[in-house]
Amino acid sequence: MSNRDTAIANALAWFDDDQGYFETLSKRVAVQTESQEPSQLPELYRYLEKFIRPDFEDIGYEVIVYDNPFEGQGPVLLATRIEDLALPTILGYGHGDAVCGQADRWTKGEGPWVLSRDGDHVYGRGTADNKAQHTTYMGALKAVIETRGRLGFNSKFMVETGEENGSKGLSELVAAHKDAFMADAYFASDGPRVDITKPNLNLGNRGCLNFDLLIEALEGGHHSGNWGGLLSNPGIVLSHAVACITDSKGKILVDGWTPGPIANSVREALNGVERDGGAHAPTIDQSWGEPGLTSAEKVYAWNSFEVLAFVTGNPSNPVNAIPPRARASCQLRFVVGTDLNKVEENLRKHLDAHGFEQVVITKPFEGNDAVFHAARTPPDHPWAQWMRRAVERTTGEVPVMIPNSGGSICNDVFQDVLGIPFVWMPLSYTGCSQHAPNEHILWSLTREGMGLVSGVY
Amino acid sequence: METMSRDSAISAIEGYFDDGDFMQDLARRVAIRTESPEPERRPELYHYLTDEMTPYLQAIGFECEIHENPRADAGPLLVATRTEGADLPTVMTYGHGDVVRGYDDQWREGLNPWEITVEGERWYGRGTADNKAQHTINLAAMKAVIEARGSLGFNVVALIETGEECGSPGLKEFCVANKDLFKADVFIASDGPRLQPGMPTVFMGSRGVFNFKMSLELRDGGHHSGNWGGLLANPGVIMSHALASVVDAKGKLLIEDWRPEPMTNSVRRAIAKLEVGGGDDAPEIDPEWGEPGLTPEEKVFGWNTFEIRAFETGNPRNPVNAIPPRAVAYGHIRYVVGTDPMGFLPALRKHLDAQGFENIELTAERDFMNATRLDPDHPWAQWAIKSIETTAKQEVAVLPNLGGTLPNDVFAEILGLPTIWVPHSYAGCSQHAPNEHVLAPVCRSALQIMTGLWWDLGDGKTPAST
Repeated sequence: MSNRDTAIANALAWFDDDQGYFETLSKRVAVQTESQEPSQLPELYRYLEKFIRPDFEDIGYEVIVYDNPFEGQGPVLLATRIEDLALPTILGYGHGDAVCGQADRWTKGEGPWVLSRDGDHVYGRGTADNKAQHTTYMGALKAVIETRGRLGFNSKFMVETGEENGSKGLSELVAAHKDAFMADAYFASDGPRVDITKPNLNLGNRGCLNFDLLIEALEGGHHSGNWGGLLSNPGIVLSHAVACITDSKGKILVDGWTPGPIANSVREALNGVERDGGAHAPTIDQSWGEPGLTSAEKVYAWNSFEVLAFVTGNPSNPVNAIPPRARASCQLRFVVGTDLNKVEENLRKHLDAHGFEQVVITKPFEGNDAVFHAARTPPDHPWAQWMRRAVERTTGEVPVMIPNSGGSICNDVFQDVLGIPFVWMPLSYTGCSQHAPNEHILWSLTREGMGLVSGVY
Repeated sequence: METMSRDSAISAIEGYFDDGDFMQDLARRVAIRTESPEPERRPELYHYLTDEMTPYLQAIGFECEIHENPRADAGPLLVATRTEGADLPTVMTYGHGDVVRGYDDQWREGLNPWEITVEGERWYGRGTADNKAQHTINLAAMKAVIEARGSLGFNVVALIETGEECGSPGLKEFCVANKDLFKADVFIASDGPRLQPGMPTVFMGSRGVFNFKMSLELRDGGHHSGNWGGLLANPGVIMSHALASVVDAKGKLLIEDWRPEPMTNSVRRAIAKLEVGGGDDAPEIDPEWGEPGLTPEEKVFGWNTFEIRAFETGNPRNPVNAIPPRAVAYGHIRYVVGTDPMGFLPALRKHLDAQGFENIELTAERDFMNATRLDPDHPWAQWAIKSIETTAKQEVAVLPNLGGTLPNDVFAEILGLPTIWVPHSYAGCSQHAPNEHVLAPVCRSALQIMTGLWWDLGDGKTPAST
């Protein structure tokens, strides 16, 4: 048995031991790290100091816990193990915070803060997102060190505690301590697999910009009998404005709102990628979106525009009046190649050109106003290719490689602040009820992940 | 002598206004929360008819009976009659005691929909303009004539319903079943706005209204826009396109069958004398909006209009990053005589299907009210115009029909009466919206006009008696 196989076997032995993985994760889930609750800030510190720091120190890491540069935001832990400056340095990532528990809405397990196993389902808040995922990575690092006596590379691992609250302050903190966080490459896990049947590698994320379109035409409603035909109806005008942004099949019509041609390496990576969201996934509308693209290309290599919400008048009690205003909450998801700084300017030009000067582009509601940059490590980058081979060596099959996820995460920290290539290997699945009650992981899938991560390390 | 008495009746009604009695009557009525769209306000509808209107009318010699609505979920109707003689003319009059929702929290600070607040010439309160001040004026004017003359000199049947703001459910059935109660020579009532606040106005019909709902249900729940954006059709986008295909960005109707017949020359001529505008606080008319080539007056009185009354997708108060599962739009058409309302939804269905919007469902929302018109040369119209001109000493604006909608089809078509409406509100009154109000000088002038009109009706020189 090779060292590599032994390391994987040791990691899985720890995983299967009741006192091992399950026990460790139980303790972590029990900490109520709700980062959206300001009163839970002490819990975020306790999580890092009591449940992360000692485990890294035990396997020879130096640990620093940085305060967040922003008042009231959670701390960031950095564990560093330098074996030889000549060796490559790999940065890992996890987040210790979770969304709010929503304890009264759980119908499975024993509530959000008690890890509870029911067959293949293991319930608990933060299991899928992200406590199990970094617990796996930490377990794998330990198994490799214990088997090989060393890692054979330098390792840095950060655990932040504000991801569910928009990772506020993370960019600033990393920028301020750039040397401490600097690495040659990045490898971590968050989010779900696109295709549950195979290991997935994910090289970036779509960016996301939310904005509102607003028409304030009148001070109050006006009787449609007395004024119908004399006053412009903001609902009609805003419907037209929305209708000029995409066609009725979702194809984007705004200049500068689509990326350039899809790179060959991206197209190749997506070739054969199927969207398999499991049993409860919605049916894909084949005729929706950019014509000529595959489903995978539409989500991972193209931009999409959404009306998240639209309101005019009083929809719960419509009255016979011309409404005074109309508001559409909109969103553009975009891949690398779209200039974020020109999204609004290009829309303004487009609306003006269609005669919608009176439509105001404005900030979205607070709480839905986070801006994410698009990020992507090219699929043909050596680090991406090396990762692909490492995973293949463990499982014997070629992993699904996604140029970027459809959703949005803080990759710009690695892409723009540190400037290093990054690869994600998600270990959860889309049915995990992440951010909802009954969050869970699949025990079998998590065990598989344990082996995969150990193999890579 | 007769002129002296007419003048004295009018000066008595001026006293009623100037002494604050009119405001007192109105305030008492506004305080009753007769919001007919709220089912739990149903007892208030009975309260209004039983405890407020009935005693008032009985005190001036009316016999009152409250009838249950033929529709179980709709409000009661009050029929009040005062019969003076079989040889005298009979007038049917009408009012509605119900109001739209208060929307209490949307009123300007310092205003309360259920109390009269006076600011300069404005009296704020829900239902002031629509319709409580209007029937309060008309009945108080009858009272003034009775007190001045000792009798009216005509017979009255008054109908006060409590469902107008819900589309007058059951009104048609009730009138069909009780035609005998409403035998009359003429219908005279008040609702809606004057053409200009300072210009006495009559109209002889109204645009019809047809309400409907468009709904698009694509799936059960929302889906994360990152994971699914580009793959799942967005109902908000599709509904926007569908609406944009019905009417252009300047309000021009794009469905051929929704457009009315060209106006006749007589209607065009009548409309040409009119000038719309609503006083100081009225919104600015958008000259670019609506059917190209028509005057603003032709757009309101001689054409059909489509409005989006409400449109919703997602959760507008708290938008989340998800593709919403459904969208719903509430639309309506105001239409003039000559357009068949039964054709609206079939035409829309055909149009949407042709545009690829087969999956948008259409539902007619409630009873529609038909469009009506009476020739401005009709003897009763000419009689009323002359009476009003005598009192107001100024020219009267004559509209072939109101831009808004009244259940006039019931009176004109079912009961077969010549219908004359004398409105006492104005277009800037925020009817159906927060901050509804009436103008004090218009109310005072309306009291004079109606007293003169009732006086003249009992004077023996009416079209019916000659």
